[in-house]
Amino acid sequence: MTTLEYPRPSLRQSLIHTAGILLFIVLVAWAWRGSDFTWSKLVSGLPRMVEFLGRVAHPDMKVASTVLQATGETVRIALLGTVLSILSSFFLGLLAATNLTPVWIHQPVRWLLCILRAIPMILLALVFVSTVGLGPLPGILAVTIHSTGMLGKFYAEAFENAHRGPMEALDSAGATWWQRIRFSVLPQVIPDLARDTLFRFELNFRDSLVLGLVGAGGIGFYIQLYIRSFQYNKVATLTLVVLLMVVLLEQVNGAVRARLR
Amino acid sequence: MSITTRQVVDGPTLRQQSPNGQTGCLPTEDNNPVIALRNIAVQYAGANSLVLNIDKLTIVRGEHVAIIGPSGAGKTTLLRLLNGYVQPRSGRVNILGKRMNLDSVRGYRDYWTRAVRRRVGFVFQNFGLVERATVFQNVLWGRLGYVNPLGSLVGWFSEKDKVAAMAAIAEVDLLPQTRQRVDTLSGGQQQRVGVARVLAQGAEIILADEPVSNLDPALADDVLDLLSSVSQRRHATLIMSLHQPPLARFYADRVIGLRAGCIVYDEQAARFDDAAIQAIYGREFNMDLSPVGLPTLPRQQHVASAPVQGTP
Repeated sequence: MTTLEYPRPSLRQSLIHTAGILLFIVLVAWAWRGSDFTWSKLVSGLPRMVEFLGRVAHPDMKVASTVLQATGETVRIALLGTVLSILSSFFLGLLAATNLTPVWIHQPVRWLLCILRAIPMILLALVFVSTVGLGPLPGILAVTIHSTGMLGKFYAEAFENAHRGPMEALDSAGATWWQRIRFSVLPQVIPDLARDTLFRFELNFRDSLVLGLVGAGGIGFYIQLYIRSFQYNKVATLTLVVLLMVVLLEQVNGAVRARLR
Repeated sequence: MSITTRQVVDGPTLRQQSPNGQTGCLPTEDNNPVIALRNIAVQYAGANSLVLNIDKLTIVRGEHVAIIGPSGAGKTTLLRLLNGYVQPRSGRVNILGKRMNLDSVRGYRDYWTRAVRRRVGFVFQNFGLVERATVFQNVLWGRLGYVNPLGSLVGWFSEKDKVAAMAAIAEVDLLPQTRQRVDTLSGGQQQRVGVARVLAQGAEIILADEPVSNLDPALADDVLDLLSSVSQRRHATLIMSLHQPPLARFYADRVIGLRAGCIVYDEQAARFDDAAIQAIYGREFNMDLSPVGLPTLPRQQHVASAPVQGTP
């Protein structure tokens, strides 16, 4: 009886694999060498870190009302920014889905989304602070635009995952383009859209903390204020609230996602 | 067609009384063709041969037609042509008395208006249902060709649409499952939802592309039984592509054989025999020994004959 030859990886395949692994190692080495990362610095910095933590360990509850108000503002920025970006992402996502629009529409829209994603949110915030002034508005605008870049792409991918069958079935029943979107695409992808949106809201909440640093409203503003005036116990209160909010959001997200199948 | 197929299915001895076999039942009261094709050529972009090359095909109202042929013969293309998903390169197309103008791209696009599309229903091999939606929703959405295009987007359907959906669900015997999500149903039940959607749509032509290929033989029998009985009741024209010749002979009045895009066989189902199958598929076949078409054969015979099909 002859033994059958089993499939062996070709020379080309093994070369590509090896090259890929080597490239990765080279990249990490390059990043490490340029990073000025030394263990001695870490060790010598340790006491100062402990001291810092010690000062933070006594949160000052007198700032509670300020914290509440600032948290409210951060949540407001994240919420409005997310809601506005849902609207723009939905329409841009439809246009960017390869199965719904011709290539001369979806390709430019994809580029646009990519550009929106590429602009750092903090840069957008700086621009809007200098054009529309301090406060939550520049924060909301920055969050909206930056999230649209990501959500629009995620929505488009969700739309592309919708099965063709139901679309063709409704088309054959006489449905219009919008009816096909509403009754065959949307019902299929709603869980994906919800998951992506909740995740984006979580990101937006954390990102809008940072926006305060450039004067775009919210907790971030007070964090940098207290750090600069060395009031670390007030910073501690703010940090605790932020931690609490992030954990809470994660819980809510999980609960909502479990319900959506 | 006075005997229902259900009675016939009950035992192999009744087989000879198959309604399709005796009467050759073309409806007499209306002999206007619902479908008339002349010199149709369909070619896919980049391919140099025709996927469909039909000189003449006429189907009259109420006919039950089975299209058979080897894979790649153009069965699906023909059905999709009749549903507006495939544009012929040339030829004359007349569906439900409306002539297609193939001289311009506009002429083809304007042909498939909502009013025309909703008169032609399609049943899919993979059911084409929104699995996360309920039976009722899926069937109701068969009414999208009638409802206000804007109003429906915010969920507005008329009382008439909802009543029509419930009637369709009742007709396919799925009333207890009305509120159930489609992904909780069995394959056979899912295809019944697909049929109900076409009924709610009020389709005058029902196209079915291998409607039972994903079902076991017993369920396949149920679904084909359902398709032919509802079509008959509504005097709709049924055109289905099938992979099993015995099912074609049993459930259709007329069998059309496709091979390499051409119609090579077109006869009343009663005259459809092993020789015809050999002409269409190019190899010998014995329908009585075939493992498919299970319900019409005693079980032992079915099992015993299983290896026969493997022999070329």
